[in-house]
Amino acid sequence: MDFCYGASRALEDISLDVPYHRVTALIGPSGCGKSTLLRCINRMNDRVPGARVTRGQVRVKGKNIHDADVDLTQLRKQVGMVFQKSNPFAKSIYDNVAYGLRIHGEKNKAVLDEAVERALRHSALWDELKDRLGASALALSGGQQQRLCIARAIATLPDVLLMDEPCSALDPISTLKIEELMSQLAREFTVIIVTHNMQQAVRVSDFTAFLHLGKIIEFGPTEDIFTNPREKLTEDYLRGIFS
Amino acid sequence: MKSKTDHANPFAGDSTGIQKRETAARWALRAGSYLVVLTTAAIMLHIFVKGAPVVFRSEWPFVNTQFLTELPSQLHVIEDKQGRRYETGVNGADAIKKELGENYRSEKTIAYSGGGILGPIVGTALLVIVSVSVALFLGVACAIYLSEYAKHGKFLELIRLAILNLAGVPSVVFGLFGLGAFVLTAPVFVDVPADRSVLAIPLGFTTLSFEGWDTCVLSGGFTLAFVILPVIITASEQCLQAVPQGFRETSMALGATRWQTIRYSVLPFATPGILTSSILGIARAAGETAPIMFTAALAFKDKLPWQKDLPPLPADASVFAQWEQSLQRFLGIFTESVQALPYHIYTLAAKIPQNEYSERAQYGSVFVFLVLVAALATVSIWMRIHLRKKYRW
Ligand SMILES: Nc1ncnc2c1ncn2[C@@H]1O[C@H](COP(=O)(O)OP(=O)(O)OP(=O)(O)O)[C@@H](O)[C@H]1O
Ligand SMILES: [Mg+2]
Repeated sequence: MDFCYGASRALEDISLDVPYHRVTALIGPSGCGKSTLLRCINRMNDRVPGARVTRGQVRVKGKNIHDADVDLTQLRKQVGMVFQKSNPFAKSIYDNVAYGLRIHGEKNKAVLDEAVERALRHSALWDELKDRLGASALALSGGQQQRLCIARAIATLPDVLLMDEPCSALDPISTLKIEELMSQLAREFTVIIVTHNMQQAVRVSDFTAFLHLGKIIEFGPTEDIFTNPREKLTEDYLRGIFS
Repeated sequence: MKSKTDHANPFAGDSTGIQKRETAARWALRAGSYLVVLTTAAIMLHIFVKGAPVVFRSEWPFVNTQFLTELPSQLHVIEDKQGRRYETGVNGADAIKKELGENYRSEKTIAYSGGGILGPIVGTALLVIVSVSVALFLGVACAIYLSEYAKHGKFLELIRLAILNLAGVPSVVFGLFGLGAFVLTAPVFVDVPADRSVLAIPLGFTTLSFEGWDTCVLSGGFTLAFVILPVIITASEQCLQAVPQGFRETSMALGATRWQTIRYSVLPFATPGILTSSILGIARAAGETAPIMFTAALAFKDKLPWQKDLPPLPADASVFAQWEQSLQRFLGIFTESVQALPYHIYTLAAKIPQNEYSERAQYGSVFVFLVLVAALATVSIWMRIHLRKKYRW
């Protein structure tokens, strides 16, 4: 698959087979196209003028997501996303988490309550926040906000969860909680995570793809990549002697 | 601690060129600002000093209720042989003359300067309500389309340019546009189309006739709406753009449609700004004279818009008939022509002979008008603060 922002090609010759119910990590230097690749999977790039897939296709659950009969709202409901920058709505904590369900027509208070509680528990926020669900989400700390965004994304129970550096603003404890969450989620969902933290990739992912300048250099089981990479470039990057 | 060079100041500025220019620039700018403030203060103070005594009283209820609750009328000034003068309305004049009897010397009448200014206040309020409703609806719709839906490109730039240009059109041109569009050609449902109807489409039970709305609140309100539309569109668009892109992205990523995104995670945060700017629009709409001259305003009218003569209902009229008549009376408000404050001020200042008696109504009207505008500004600020607290990001 090729992908372009206007005239500049951001992704080239990407061929990636993400396994079901596993955690796949995308690693690579800054600007190599990890976020771009992630955004291709739920067609968030549709919003960027001039951005398009120029060759090949993206298939989710066997379906080419650029087909005319694909409903974007359904696609995005099933392919959830957590952004690199945490961006909770300036609403209450409860409303943030319930947002996804509400726009898909859920009005039943009991169902909403339950979904919100489950999502907050999953993202390790419930104990901290259960007494102030009505407070503004903006009053939370940066790390809490990020976990809230994760809760918001998993509240709709997507099948695929895309996470763009979900732990970049978190302390080790919360990071640990999120990582636990990821391995838990992987039992039911397919998780794709972008990370700059190699240890994290090793800890949570089953498969790893290494991107460089818009190309996939190497893709395989995490263990193999980290213990004996096939490519010189990967090895250099992992050893940190990358320029 | 002692420095090595005790006498020389290492940071001494050069007292030539740069420093002097700096000082000169600062004083020039300061003088300019003071001039603006002084002028404004002088105008306000003048109006306050002359206008406040008309509206306020030193004893209970402290407000000149007559001035605020009566329609404008003729002022009669009667002089007796001792040179004493009596100011009175139309009704009081004969009584005073009779009382004076032989002592009566002369009588002077000054148009519009007696009574109060309730008619113009009500008219302006109605015009503002109509124009702001129309302008908000059209303007916000347009701003949402431009900011959220329209594709970036030449065409969008062209539309923006057109809107900016609209803001520069003189208001009298808007007035003439309103005359042509709303007074003379806007569509109405009638049984029998008038002769001047531009186009009549029979619909069976009634006829859609393009014969205009005549001079009335509706015509004036729509015309004013177009005057303030550019302000509202531009401001609304800015408010929409100020909502973080992240809100939109997240909302879309959760599977929301574009409209859901706008409805739930863009509009709530843009509303405070939109409302604030629309209140500036209100002040503008309330103050315009030219656009309503041809479309809504009368120099004088002895009735309020809802005091229209309707055929009296029979005593045994059903509830439904009464209800229908109330509705008719309500809708009738918008199809009446009215007096309006700015036009009233214009009439008082330019259309009647000036003398010591006409001053009262002049300054009173201007003062009331300024107070209303100031009140609106206060409300807008209060509303912005209040809503900001609720929808902050
Ligand atoms: N909206 C856009 N328009 C044009 N080019 C873009 C856009 N977004 C990203 N790019 C370009 O695409 C390339 C890949 O960017 P991307 O955001 O995917 O990098 P990344 O791997 O996520 O980096 P990081 O680790 O810093 O987040 C970069 O060269 C970037 O400049
Ligand atoms: Mg990125």
